[in-house]
Amino acid sequence: MKNAGLYAALAAARHCAAGCSDKEAVWQSGKLRLYRYRPIARPAGTVPLLIVYALINRPYMMDLQEDRSLIRGLLAEGLDVYLIDWGYPDGADRFTTLTDYIDEFLAGCVEEILRMHRLDALNILGVCQGGVFSLCFSALHPRRVRNLITMVTPVDFHTPADLLSKWVRKIDVAAWVGDGNLSGDVLNQLFLALMPFRLAHQKYMDLLKGNADRAKIENFMRVEQWIFDSPDQAGAAFREFVVWFYQEDRLVGDRLEIAGRKVALRALRLPILNLIGKRDHLVPPEASAALQRLVGSEDFTTLEFDLGHIGMYISARAQREVPAAIARWLATR
Amino acid sequence: MADDLWQQWRSLAALAVPPGPTSQAPSAGDGAFAFVPFINAAERFMSAARSYLEGTANAAAPAAAEAARTFGDFLREQFAALFQPPWNTDLAGAASAASSAFGLDMPALGLTREHQLRWDRTAEAWRRIDDAQRRLQRLWSDALRDAAIDFAARLGQRKPTAVSPEALHGLYDTWIDCAEEVYARMAHSDAYCNALAECVNAGSQWRQALQANIEQWAKLLDLPTRSEVNTLTLRLRSVEEHLRAASKALKTQDRKPNEGKQGQRKSKDAGSRARRGRRKSSP
Repeated sequence: MKNAGLYAALAAARHCAAGCSDKEAVWQSGKLRLYRYRPIARPAGTVPLLIVYALINRPYMMDLQEDRSLIRGLLAEGLDVYLIDWGYPDGADRFTTLTDYIDEFLAGCVEEILRMHRLDALNILGVCQGGVFSLCFSALHPRRVRNLITMVTPVDFHTPADLLSKWVRKIDVAAWVGDGNLSGDVLNQLFLALMPFRLAHQKYMDLLKGNADRAKIENFMRVEQWIFDSPDQAGAAFREFVVWFYQEDRLVGDRLEIAGRKVALRALRLPILNLIGKRDHLVPPEASAALQRLVGSEDFTTLEFDLGHIGMYISARAQREVPAAIARWLATR
Repeated sequence: MADDLWQQWRSLAALAVPPGPTSQAPSAGDGAFAFVPFINAAERFMSAARSYLEGTANAAAPAAAEAARTFGDFLREQFAALFQPPWNTDLAGAASAASSAFGLDMPALGLTREHQLRWDRTAEAWRRIDDAQRRLQRLWSDALRDAAIDFAARLGQRKPTAVSPEALHGLYDTWIDCAEEVYARMAHSDAYCNALAECVNAGSQWRQALQANIEQWAKLLDLPTRSEVNTLTLRLRSVEEHLRAASKALKTQDRKPNEGKQGQRKSKDAGSRARRGRRKSSP
């Protein structure tokens, strides 16, 4: 591509809309929307799969574009896919707590799906922080979850490679957040600071190595959009998450309580599939792998991929392997 | 060299920043316009890299080592800006000036005591931020110094190469690898974690103090404050919680007649799950 074309592609790409699969909102509560994706293949016959994404960044990363969509891969396997979009918290949401997110909003989505399908339990795929929420929910409501899949999910927050954890351990989070929300821009800075030379410099210099065609540039800009489309974090929930998980590592040793009830991973007996990115710089593989020794489940499968955190959603290898692995695992349960 | 990264960046720069006053200026949202700093950085890098490659093509070992050291120092200087905070770094000077202007070094007495103490806390927070910022900048500077040394050492192990796009890309990637490795070691250290935490904590103290000062003025002018809005939000939240609890209680009452059927289905699920229990490990 000539430079004039490159410039035009860069300028045009900013308008590209992330998200490619058809979906409809089936339930809402406040800013939360529960989406159900339209099927594109013959049903696999499993119970619905609810994707619980993180509060950090937006869930469209799971459905970025046709050839980079984990959701599309799952739909192609015949799964009935639901997704929670938490929305963009604003100042009015500053007192929203983890209890609200897990025991009200997530629980509300689960109840709605179960009501629609007249089921007692569904499958959950928790992604990153959403995996932590899914673990908590499964521990609090074990009868509501048939199978649990955790993807790039931190469980032990005090592993040696966890740089984010080391950084925030001595921060006075209550003072940092105050009574307000935490700005998404602050989080972006924090994430860039994990690998500043690669993420704030090399990535852009690399864009013009070789011949970047329109498709590559649009893909680049979509990922760029996702990376910096960071919602502010509801203050109370953010404070609880950092203190309970990053600072006090409460999932280890079953020391966590949500809504006055103990979150005991040891009591989890359901089948669990744990998907780990071996090159994940945000959630070190050991932080995810710890789950196996902490849960009571005898049906526990770990799948490791030679991918980074973002590569687990959008890399070509992830597209080929992750949805198929999930579908295979679910089909036998 | 049509594929030369430097040439591409230059062409892109020309497109992103039109030369004439009649040309339409690009908006900040344009993808290429945001690349202008990288275009400038690429130009400087390519120029220094060419000098290095040309200078070492037939040079003796000591001269090549010196050229590598010079190149490393250039990169260290160029990347120092990556760690500059966006605000003016002379926070201590500003805090000191504020202290003098408001007479904050004097003992707090009488009617103005509480007001003086609030401003005193603000100035103290600025001093803390400045101190932590200096500690962080020292660490960043040390990391860049060590990265430049590592980079020069790695260049010393390479065979002299002619100038080519591949050689230029290779030098850049080697520098990024060195810088990232050294930075990672520094970022995991207690010294860095402590300085970063102190910087954030001091920033929090400063924001709290500033908020208290602004709220004081808002009260004088009978303007609504964040504290008031928070109080109202919490009251509303309490009402919402009561409504939710009442709604749940109603739903529970409605479900009771169906519990018998659901109980039978649950026990069937639990039985089939128990039969399937097994443990697997990763491939």
